[in-house]
Amino acid sequence: MVKVFGGTSLAVGIALPGLLLIVAVPFAFIVLQAVFPSLGAGSFEAPFAHFIDVLSNPALIRMTFNTVFLGVSVVVVASLLAVPLGIFRALFRVPLAPLWDALMLVPFMIPPYIATLGWIMTLQPRGYLEQLTGFNLAPFLFSVGGMTFIMALATFPVVYFAVSRTVEAIGTRYSDVGRVFGASPLRAFWRITLPLAMPGLAASLLLVFAMAIEEYGTPAALGRRAGFEVLVSGIDLRVSDWPIDLPGAATISLVLVFLSFLAFMLQRRVLADRSFETTGGKPQNRDKKALGALTIPVMALFSVVAFLATGVPLLAVLTTASLKTISGGLVLSNLGLQNFSAILFSNAADGLRALGLSLSLGVATALVAGAIGGLSAYVVVKTRTPGRQVVDALTVLPNALPGIVVAVGLILAWNQPILPVSPYNTSLILLLAYCCILLPHPVRYTQAALLQIGDNLEAAARVSGASSLKTLQRIVLPLIMPSLISAMLLVFAVASRELVASILVAPIGVQTVATFIWRQFEQGSISLGMAMAFIAILITTLLPLLALGWMRREGPIHH
Amino acid sequence: MKMTLAAAALSAGTFLATAAFADVTVYTAGPKSLIDDLSKGFTEETGIAVNVFQATTGKVMARIEAEASNPVVDVVISASWDTANDFAERGWLVAYTSPNAEKVPDFLKSDTAVAQAVSGLGIVWNTKSGTPKPTDWADLAAPAYKDLVNIPDPAQSGSSFELTAALAGEDDWKLFKALKANGAIIAGANADALNPVLQGAKAAVFGAVDYIALSAKEKGENIDVIFPTSGTVVAPRPIMIMQWSKNQDDAKKFVDYMLSEKGQKAVADQMLMPARTDIPANRPLIGDLKLLQYDSKDIYGKRKETLTEAADIFK
Repeated sequence: MVKVFGGTSLAVGIALPGLLLIVAVPFAFIVLQAVFPSLGAGSFEAPFAHFIDVLSNPALIRMTFNTVFLGVSVVVVASLLAVPLGIFRALFRVPLAPLWDALMLVPFMIPPYIATLGWIMTLQPRGYLEQLTGFNLAPFLFSVGGMTFIMALATFPVVYFAVSRTVEAIGTRYSDVGRVFGASPLRAFWRITLPLAMPGLAASLLLVFAMAIEEYGTPAALGRRAGFEVLVSGIDLRVSDWPIDLPGAATISLVLVFLSFLAFMLQRRVLADRSFETTGGKPQNRDKKALGALTIPVMALFSVVAFLATGVPLLAVLTTASLKTISGGLVLSNLGLQNFSAILFSNAADGLRALGLSLSLGVATALVAGAIGGLSAYVVVKTRTPGRQVVDALTVLPNALPGIVVAVGLILAWNQPILPVSPYNTSLILLLAYCCILLPHPVRYTQAALLQIGDNLEAAARVSGASSLKTLQRIVLPLIMPSLISAMLLVFAVASRELVASILVAPIGVQTVATFIWRQFEQGSISLGMAMAFIAILITTLLPLLALGWMRREGPIHH
Repeated sequence: MKMTLAAAALSAGTFLATAAFADVTVYTAGPKSLIDDLSKGFTEETGIAVNVFQATTGKVMARIEAEASNPVVDVVISASWDTANDFAERGWLVAYTSPNAEKVPDFLKSDTAVAQAVSGLGIVWNTKSGTPKPTDWADLAAPAYKDLVNIPDPAQSGSSFELTAALAGEDDWKLFKALKANGAIIAGANADALNPVLQGAKAAVFGAVDYIALSAKEKGENIDVIFPTSGTVVAPRPIMIMQWSKNQDDAKKFVDYMLSEKGQKAVADQMLMPARTDIPANRPLIGDLKLLQYDSKDIYGKRKETLTEAADIFK
């Protein structure tokens, strides 16, 4: 049946309906809710009643400014952490490279609110650091700088994986040419390799910006103490206590989407009118250089970043999970495994069900978002199909759309009385929510990879008589696979621990890992929640590592 | 590609939860272990299954608002009486008085709602903090507690709001200004305010929900819950039956069970105050607490102004 279609029409045929279902439907209802306050009750009265009210609030201007400031700061700090590491990883033989990759993936497995709570319990007065060393870093923690730093630690892997994959694809051939013409190694890198890596870098920075401006937990826990209010706090306030204000929340979320759209246009401008094609017909030299004298400093850099991004939060989670009482502190008599045994034995059925659901949703989201995202990127970058602008626009919309608002849009859309069947109140609604929130990752990563593939390869394949579908399958797909797989791993990680949308949209009686942990926290059982979090982080980290190991042996991933 | 997608959809499909329509569907504000106990007991007694959605009051209300065009919820338990008044005004509630509500005091019931349980607000104090034991709200503005007091955010919790409004109304914000001068901060919702006190980063929470702290104390945490001498506020948790419910008879049975001796004992086990005065509990009860006097209609009428004022003081 597939033979009937060409590759292009097949790609459009899957991408467009998928995007309409996953993005357009909830987004349309968010816009409608912003305009019509009583939409939830099925009424279209008093349009725009809230709109003016919310948007003319002077506090909103300050929040918008803070949001942009935070987003830009997180992008800067994340690139400072990630770009050097990514470049070393791509161009040199870094000892223990697979281990570093794994450690850089873990920050994604740790739910942001848990990582933040871990940092708070470590750095606040009488926290773990003070109990161990006698001093605390509370003034830094509860400042805009501390918040930026912690958010950058949680998001920099996006940049790390994008940079290491794109620079690796460029290789050293081009900068070697520069060297032949007398450029110093640094100059050759600065003037040749880095500009060629721009698509991957710009795409990942855009993703970090969007993640930073839609993240709720960390600014709420740290920023408010510093008197720093962002748009997301305004959104959450409208759905966290009575009387709730869905139209207001929807309206503010449109401001966020608008901000991310501006960032997207900026990224477009940066990449416009230049060619980044580095993968042509010539064989790539895959040999990486030895680190030599740089070995010690580079290893130290990897170790420090991995310790801060992965080590500290994990240790804080493990420590909190091992305490009999929080107020008992770090003394031997107060440590034990009873929280773990409570999770593994008395809560086993609930915990296991939550874990099974979250893991299968993570896998399903990675597959669906990866397929639709990858195909959408292909349609936009590599085809001249009419309607590709629609596809392009739909992939930008979910950038920076906060989870809580996606959840509201999904309920409004799928709980209509006229629908004969609906995914609402089934686990499929969670899949729809996660796909909408995470679609930008595979799209941006794949677009960046596609920008580096020369058209001559596809042309050569077509001239040699391959169908467009075969070309897609034999030429394009293998070349973008490393980037797409990185994106799908990130999607799996984030989907398997998503909290904000899950709380609101989860089917009645169904728990995901994150909602299970959150309920423990809500009841004051922090240690119990942390025990569950630790177990979940271990399992979600091991799964993709096993999959990657298998692919390294069998499949398309380079060594 | 298509095959994998179908397989993925199927694997997700194996976890589908189908809500059967003969069951009672309950949306409730926490705690989860309480509603789990109660549902189990109710099903054992009546054979009627219960579907539960549990979250914070805000998230429960957000879900009900978003679902309003096609609602499925039969019974709502919220943590704020104000929601019961609002739903009644919208005409969303069924008038029902359970035979078991006889021993519930009048101020905890109306035609359309009845309290299932009551929580109180108190000072939660870390006994190892090296500070003197407080007895009243004003104590926390003393130099001994400099930079050591957390206040739950009145914008994120109905009971915190009532406490703030009631105390501010008594002395025109003087106490809160003194607290601010003493370095007290507004710290998130209830759980966020309590954690730093457990670890010792702070010494006390000004107005914490009592049952969470009492449960933590039972587990061995070094904290005390103190009900201030000058008076406090309580937060009744109203249980209500929605008028769109298709099985109101079962819903009424569920309300009856909540107010039965068994149902009220489950409440006491969670360190909440039972709504019925004839059920003992291992904690201070409504009759033991001194309550602040205020007109709740009046303070909710000025909610926005009060929250703005509080935010301004604690900027």
